Amino acid sequence: METPDPPDQELVARTQAGDARAYDELVRRYSPRLYGLVYNMTSSHEDTNDLLQEIFAKGYRSIKSFQGKSSFHTWMHTISVNMTINFLKKRNRRRTMSLDDVDSGVLNDPDFIEATSSVDPSNEANLGELQKKLNESLMKLSHDHRAVVTMFDIQGMPHAEIAKILKVSEGTVRSRLFYAHKQLQNLLREFINP
Amino acid sequence: MDHNESVSRLLRLKRYEQPPPGYYEDFLSEFQCRQRAEVIQRPLWAIARDRVLRFLTPPSAPRLVMAASFAAVVLASTLLIGPEAQVSHLSGPDEKTSLSLAGTAPSLPMPKTSLRPSKPVSSVQYVLPPRPVGYASARTF
Repeated sequence: METPDPPDQELVARTQAGDARAYDELVRRYSPRLYGLVYNMTSSHEDTNDLLQEIFAKGYRSIKSFQGKSSFHTWMHTISVNMTINFLKKRNRRRTMSLDDVDSGVLNDPDFIEATSSVDPSNEANLGELQKKLNESLMKLSHDHRAVVTMFDIQGMPHAEIAKILKVSEGTVRSRLFYAHKQLQNLLREFINP
Repeated sequence: MDHNESVSRLLRLKRYEQPPPGYYEDFLSEFQCRQRAEVIQRPLWAIARDRVLRFLTPPSAPRLVMAASFAAVVLASTLLIGPEAQVSHLSGPDEKTSLSLAGTAPSLPMPKTSLRPSKPVSSVQYVLPPRPVGYASARTF
């Protein structure tokens, strides 16, 4: 019989006591979720990898100050969003975003092809174009709007959780989502059924 | 279909964008390497300081107790060393100075002086140059 995975609180307590292996387990547990968050905000695998390394390093350095007032999940997401937004501000100053590095592997994913054809069969042949357009449209949103859209639409988090991560009210989250969707409707008009 | 729902469905397609297989295992290895590199790159004095602090501070001892005991040690050392230092400072050099002055001071008659009270500080006036220094051009040769 397999032993159940220890809860986050236990791993956090062990890390605070100096057990680095416990933190490795947290990294293993959270890297897929945080990868999705950072990747969909940056649209670059390379930047996501570097940023994620820094995020987990920061988490490790600051874990002694983590008092458990929020869940570890919320705490790590807050660190991730803040660091990603800071990174994006610096990157915007440095260079204009190039979207040439869009994920081409997904175009061969049967699930992706099926999901795309159910959205609009007329665009089945233009999966690459759709993917590029999706990324471009997301990049046109403000950083705050992009964070909310990523967490709600792509990662499927509830409004309350997003509000805790961003330290804003649920009303603010809903309002940001409303304006972001409105902007995306205009940008993705050609892919939306009338 | 609602336009809002259409946007959400399009955005959900982004969930299929994943890193290559085996990425997360490599990621953890890279993270561990970076952490070790960070530890190696730390200056020696920082490592030594951490070790001393860890040795002196048991994990259960509250910081307030440590601070209070440190303050007590400082106070005790001040009380023990302080008065002795003060006595030697006040008595020693003054005696020598007075003796030497008594022996070498010239016995000249002192002139009579009429002392007047000085002007209050508020009446002091400063004469400013007509042109502030900062206005002068910095690139004049």
